[in-house]
Amino acid sequence: MSAEETERAPDPATAGILRRETHASRAAASVLAAGLVTVFAVYCLFEAALKAFGQEPWLLAPEQAWEWISNLPSGIDPLALGAVGALIFLLGLYFFLNAVLPGRRSRHIIPNPRAAVVVDNEVIASSLARRARAEAGVTPEQVLVTVSRRLVEVNVRPTSGIPVDEAAIAEAVEDELIRTPVKPLPDVRVKVSAEGVIGV
Amino acid sequence: MNGTPRALNRILLVTIGAILLAIGALALALAVVPAAGPWWHNVAEAIQARMHALFEQTTLEGQRDSWLWIVLAVLTVLLIVGMVAWAANQGKGRTSDFAGDFGQERDGGRVLISGSVAEQALKGALAERTDLVNATVAAYKIKGEPGLRVRLHPRPGVAPYIIAEEVSELVRALDAVVGVSRPVLISMGAGARTKFVRAERVR
Repeated sequence: MSAEETERAPDPATAGILRRETHASRAAASVLAAGLVTVFAVYCLFEAALKAFGQEPWLLAPEQAWEWISNLPSGIDPLALGAVGALIFLLGLYFFLNAVLPGRRSRHIIPNPRAAVVVDNEVIASSLARRARAEAGVTPEQVLVTVSRRLVEVNVRPTSGIPVDEAAIAEAVEDELIRTPVKPLPDVRVKVSAEGVIGV
Repeated sequence: MNGTPRALNRILLVTIGAILLAIGALALALAVVPAAGPWWHNVAEAIQARMHALFEQTTLEGQRDSWLWIVLAVLTVLLIVGMVAWAANQGKGRTSDFAGDFGQERDGGRVLISGSVAEQALKGALAERTDLVNATVAAYKIKGEPGLRVRLHPRPGVAPYIIAEEVSELVRALDAVVGVSRPVLISMGAGARTKFVRAERVR
């Protein structure tokens, strides 16, 4: 694969797939919202239908419900009203933020001339951790890598008495990142903890 | 890469969220701010006066209640149907056809290649790889055109770029076999099985 081929902009179908795969679909929040609205609408339907056919109300007549609502805050413990209000507010905030925030998923794109390739950050972290571990000569438990959109953080706890080369680890991790040409390319930060580990 | 209506999701979630925020804020204000009570009574009375007039106008002679209740019942039925349709459209888009001369009149019949051909071919090739814990292949329809979704769970420590390159070679081979090139998604994730296995065994 030539560098030119890799750098070429993806075709529209692939670009669309990449956009969708790196952003949340909000399916869970949508199903929850649809369910809540449906339950409320079914209740309204029952009461409205009973009213339309001139029958007795099922749980609460609409007039009584409205009277109770218009007389708030009397008729209910203010603490209960506040709690219910806060609950509804938080639920609304959840739906609202879900819709308004960009909803980026913790994934990176690997440019590929044939397919749309997305990789979860955990997978990148695990491959970088392997490289950092090999470079530092420590066990897998002593290396912790976290990958976010713009930053790769490598935490190394060296074996007590055996120093590790911070710059060499950073170079190895950067090399691995460049081989994986993820987009966007994050910065690398290596932290070697001051305390060593014994008994490994 | 499924047919989830994402723009619709955002529009409806913003609407529902804003309504719930307003109701919640009103209830909170009534519970916490003493001055909100009299204000709300005035607002409620104004609404009630307007609704009362409306219901008076729409009550037919000899009827006890307004026909607006029938309208309301019909509207709620439409709302329920809409909500069920909305929820049912999440994650939709699986397709059975992968390639073929769809919808064209041809002499001597038509050729259709089922999605399971591509799924089985790729799955068989991926099953031989030892650096993958699990692989699933499924055909989806993207804007009317079929495409493949390849979900891979690499073992911990495996370099994703190597997998991406080799799997895209498999996809090219599939292109050559099937004779058409469809959009393909290769998605790599850490599944539950790769997360909980002991590190030293695989690294």
